[in-house]
Amino acid sequence: MVALAVALVGGGGLAVWVVGAPDAPERDLTGLVGTVERGAYVARLAGCIACHTDVKAGGAVLAGGAEIKTDFGRFFAPNITPDPEDGIGGWSLNDFSRALTAGLAPDGQHYFPSFPYAFYSRLTDRDIVDLWAAVQSVPAVSGGPPAHDLRFPFGVRSGVGLWKRLFFEPGRLEPIEGRSESWNRGRYLARGPAHCGACHTPRNLLGGRETGRRYAGAVGPGAEKIPPITPDALAAEGWAADDIVYALRSGIMPDGDVFGGAMAEVVRDGTRFWSDADLAALVEYILNPESQE
Amino acid sequence: MMRSKEGVALLAGLGILFAAAGVLAHGGATGIVKQRMDHMETVGDAMKTLTAMMRGKLDYDAAEVRSLAGTIADHGGESLTELFPEGSLDKPTEALPAIWQDWDRFTDLARQLTDYATALVDAAGNDRPPVGSSGAMSGQGMMMGETPAGPSVEHLSRMPPDAAFQHMAQVCAACHQDFRKEK
Repeated sequence: MVALAVALVGGGGLAVWVVGAPDAPERDLTGLVGTVERGAYVARLAGCIACHTDVKAGGAVLAGGAEIKTDFGRFFAPNITPDPEDGIGGWSLNDFSRALTAGLAPDGQHYFPSFPYAFYSRLTDRDIVDLWAAVQSVPAVSGGPPAHDLRFPFGVRSGVGLWKRLFFEPGRLEPIEGRSESWNRGRYLARGPAHCGACHTPRNLLGGRETGRRYAGAVGPGAEKIPPITPDALAAEGWAADDIVYALRSGIMPDGDVFGGAMAEVVRDGTRFWSDADLAALVEYILNPESQE
Repeated sequence: MMRSKEGVALLAGLGILFAAAGVLAHGGATGIVKQRMDHMETVGDAMKTLTAMMRGKLDYDAAEVRSLAGTIADHGGESLTELFPEGSLDKPTEALPAIWQDWDRFTDLARQLTDYATALVDAAGNDRPPVGSSGAMSGQGMMMGETPAGPSVEHLSRMPPDAAFQHMAQVCAACHQDFRKEK
């Protein structure tokens, strides 16, 4: 908070440092052609539909999401249908890729980290082009939710450049040698598209994830308690691998209770569509992640 | 003698402990809040056994599934919503004020719970999918669409019990998502 305030009032060289976010490597996607069907599956992995669709209000797919109340203000996931005015119909594949992997709009503005590009930055080239094909396949819808409504100073976009300097590590996640293919797939899912850490990893006052305490649990929007999902925490609650798989498939916990809150949405719009192999891979990783630096 | 005194003391201690645990379980709830927490606990107990059966942790018993689903059906609809007089938010309730802001949806979901639980009663004896099949919702041509409205009760009652059970649980989840505070 203090750091951000100082950065915002400080001028000169600091401002340049603030505005200039870390360089995210540009992807060279030339020659890659996406497939809609696979991209739709990637959208289920990545939670695009959950956030960008206002299901309860009967909103069209990807035409903009319901309000997300946070300590920083109110966020609205925008319309990302192919509408040229109100959606992203005017975008190129590279614009789409830059948004996902660098958190940058086509006009160079920073996106707020409520859009989990810190995770989508890990997406493979293939997932990006497939996702692009799928997003382009939905009906164009005009209109959309209002702009974000954030408390000062969080609404100052250039401040996001500082945030990125501090907390955003762009780029792919290279597989760890000596670990199985399914384990690496699970790691990719958790730390990439599924962005588990967006909720389950605690954040500091500036909204940066405390990556040394990955999956240690947190407090979500609306004071929702987000449980820890470290191997120790899961073991203490008696969760075995097949319990987690079943819960992600059905929303039903071993004690017969069901997920409520944000996790209900994660299952409804996401994990229940996952393949058996992907659910198993995710759980393999979550129960045995790499040691934290 | 000493031994029996110790035994009495031990029993008394355990009694206090159990009484305390009972209070803690519902955190000292009283009145209507306690009544509905107990009501939900009955549903939760039925769900726990059903879950264990659907997952193969307990032997599948269609008669038992019918009975438990019937219990859940009895606990939905008005018997559920009448336990939520407006503004009844005394601690330690997990109910959210959204219930009364969106009362129609709340009552619809409560009614749907009874409908779907009744469908599970009817589906309990249907053929079950082979062990190890996934139940993944993929490949249904709706991957890029909204989540469709739930199936009809009629359709549900012809499904394998496992599928009917999962649809019923989605009603629980839909209601909890909006109307229950996550602890």
